[in-house]
Amino acid sequence: MSTTSEPDEVMLQARNVEFDWSRLPMHWIPGDPFTTHVLNVLHLLLPAGEEWFVETFKQALPYIEDEKLRDDVIGFIGQEAVHAGAHTGVLKHLQESGLDPTPFTDQMDWAFGKVLGSHPVTSLRDKNNLVERLALIAAIEHATAFLGDWVLNADGLDRAGVDPTMLDLLRWHGAEEVEHRSVAYETMRYFDKREVRRLRTLFIVAPMLVFMWIRGVRFLMAKDPLLADLPKYRRRPHMADWRASAKRGTLPEFRHLAVRMGRYLRRSYHPSQEGSTAQAVRYLASSPAAQAAAR
Amino acid sequence: MTTGDFPADLRGRPRTDRAMRVIGTVLSHYLRAAERAEYKDAVAGHNPDRAMNLVVTGREVVAADDDVAAITLAARDGGELPVWHPGSHLDLHLPSGRRRQYSLCGDPRDRHSYRVAVRRIADGGGGSIEMHALQPGSPVTVRGPRNGFPFVGSGSALFVAGGIGITPIIAMVREAIRAGMDWQFVYCGRSRQTMPFLDEIAQWDQSRVFVRTDDEHGLPKPGELLQRATQGGAVYCCGPTPMLNTVRREFRECPATALHFERFGPPPITNGREFDVRLISDGSVVAVGADESLLTAVKKTRPDVAYSCQQGFCGTCKVRVLSGTPEHLETRLTPAEQQDHMLICVSRSAGEQLVLDI
Repeated sequence: MSTTSEPDEVMLQARNVEFDWSRLPMHWIPGDPFTTHVLNVLHLLLPAGEEWFVETFKQALPYIEDEKLRDDVIGFIGQEAVHAGAHTGVLKHLQESGLDPTPFTDQMDWAFGKVLGSHPVTSLRDKNNLVERLALIAAIEHATAFLGDWVLNADGLDRAGVDPTMLDLLRWHGAEEVEHRSVAYETMRYFDKREVRRLRTLFIVAPMLVFMWIRGVRFLMAKDPLLADLPKYRRRPHMADWRASAKRGTLPEFRHLAVRMGRYLRRSYHPSQEGSTAQAVRYLASSPAAQAAAR
Repeated sequence: MTTGDFPADLRGRPRTDRAMRVIGTVLSHYLRAAERAEYKDAVAGHNPDRAMNLVVTGREVVAADDDVAAITLAARDGGELPVWHPGSHLDLHLPSGRRRQYSLCGDPRDRHSYRVAVRRIADGGGGSIEMHALQPGSPVTVRGPRNGFPFVGSGSALFVAGGIGITPIIAMVREAIRAGMDWQFVYCGRSRQTMPFLDEIAQWDQSRVFVRTDDEHGLPKPGELLQRATQGGAVYCCGPTPMLNTVRREFRECPATALHFERFGPPPITNGREFDVRLISDGSVVAVGADESLLTAVKKTRPDVAYSCQQGFCGTCKVRVLSGTPEHLETRLTPAEQQDHMLICVSRSAGEQLVLDI
């Protein structure tokens, strides 16, 4: 192992990717529909969620005079836009395979587009709404950073024989989340350096994420055509299933999730503590989907 | 919120969704609470201006044909400069107002100076001529260093440098040597006269080095540049765009698994025509030149127009087309979206004028 210190901050640019979902099986973790669908919840939440990030940051950009932060935000917006598009590709495939996600994704479009959606900033009250949305996103980005760090290091997924295209999507996305993990935090701080703004959002974001995940897994397992003949108990997710997957290393342990989410409460919190930029850059240089998009 | 505002039940029951009613109400109250207070600038965390006023402390010709100069910069008081890692570049503000980025080619362990190398291009934008005119004592304002091409070396690596692309690569190879990595290095150029740093490179383990020149070896044959890549290793490449495109294409057949290169800005425009764009917000008309993108032209009067990749794949710069026919040159929009939207970073106009919702 080299003794050089590694770069922890890199310039951010969107990477183009190409995924071929045509051969993706429904249970892309072989023999494990539960874990497959836990991870599939990402495809239900992220397209609408990340488009909301893009719209919110586009609104914030004209107010940012710090050149370096501007450059970071421009790169961040592009990365999130490509992420949203890539996950939308999986949704199409699910639909074609007999699992119609639209009842759920329509609700996400409504929640992120209408309820949380941006209206033009024409007053200081509107601006406060914008800054609150930036703070909500910073809290969500903390979650995506440690989840990205988890997925890059989860050899349980390799051992489980996860479909390589899906594994690449999860790790490419996770690596870019690790790569840009400080942007949302720095942007929120640029507008509001107070802890009260930062901390209160955790009490909205953490319960929402938990609730949405449970709801998403229940929805997917109920609609999975391959599970249609199973008894009702087997078509529902259970805590014991999660614990079993965590033991195999295909999902993070509950305790791990709670501890890492809780780090957001520390006064000394900074996103740079939540993963390795060098590890992320290494993965991104080897991602088959990123190499495939090179013309 | 009234019932008409809520989405349908998730499981298709004939009512609005109860969970969404609760969540929607909670979230909209939360945001409305934020709107009850006005945003106050006093809470903002104003970031300090990161520009540094440096001074040129050295100037050295480093290629036999005299066209490449290595400029050394330091703080006026000789103080410590920000840390950088191989692959980083500096953003220089030249006396004329031009801004240019150059890769750092010195030693990261030297905390008191930065070194860049510039090839003089007679018919370029004038930046390199200005850089070559800098003398010891000249003041230069810089921003950075920033790293768009990080060296994250471990294991084995093949370094491929073309022309002035040697500047970030040489810092990486020195690092690889120091770390005891398994490295190989290919350095391409027109002729040995034009290539900087050959003296230093001659000191390295020559069994790992291949200096190839067009005049001696001819143009590289297919697969030649990546011949020395190892199974599972990394390739770091920096050089002219055609060389980079060749390496990216040939990488598919190569046993290495990771390809690192500096991702530059927008591609040059070929076969462009002039056209006009009318911006609906104030009716102003922007002229788009044959060799500039729609985005570049609009940014002159609308500096806050949104964009990101500038290559037509991320979709950030999507705008609604109100009139006129776009020429779509991107890879992101669906046919349905292309009916009334376009990506202004790469797409152009099929006709004389477009009217855009900007």
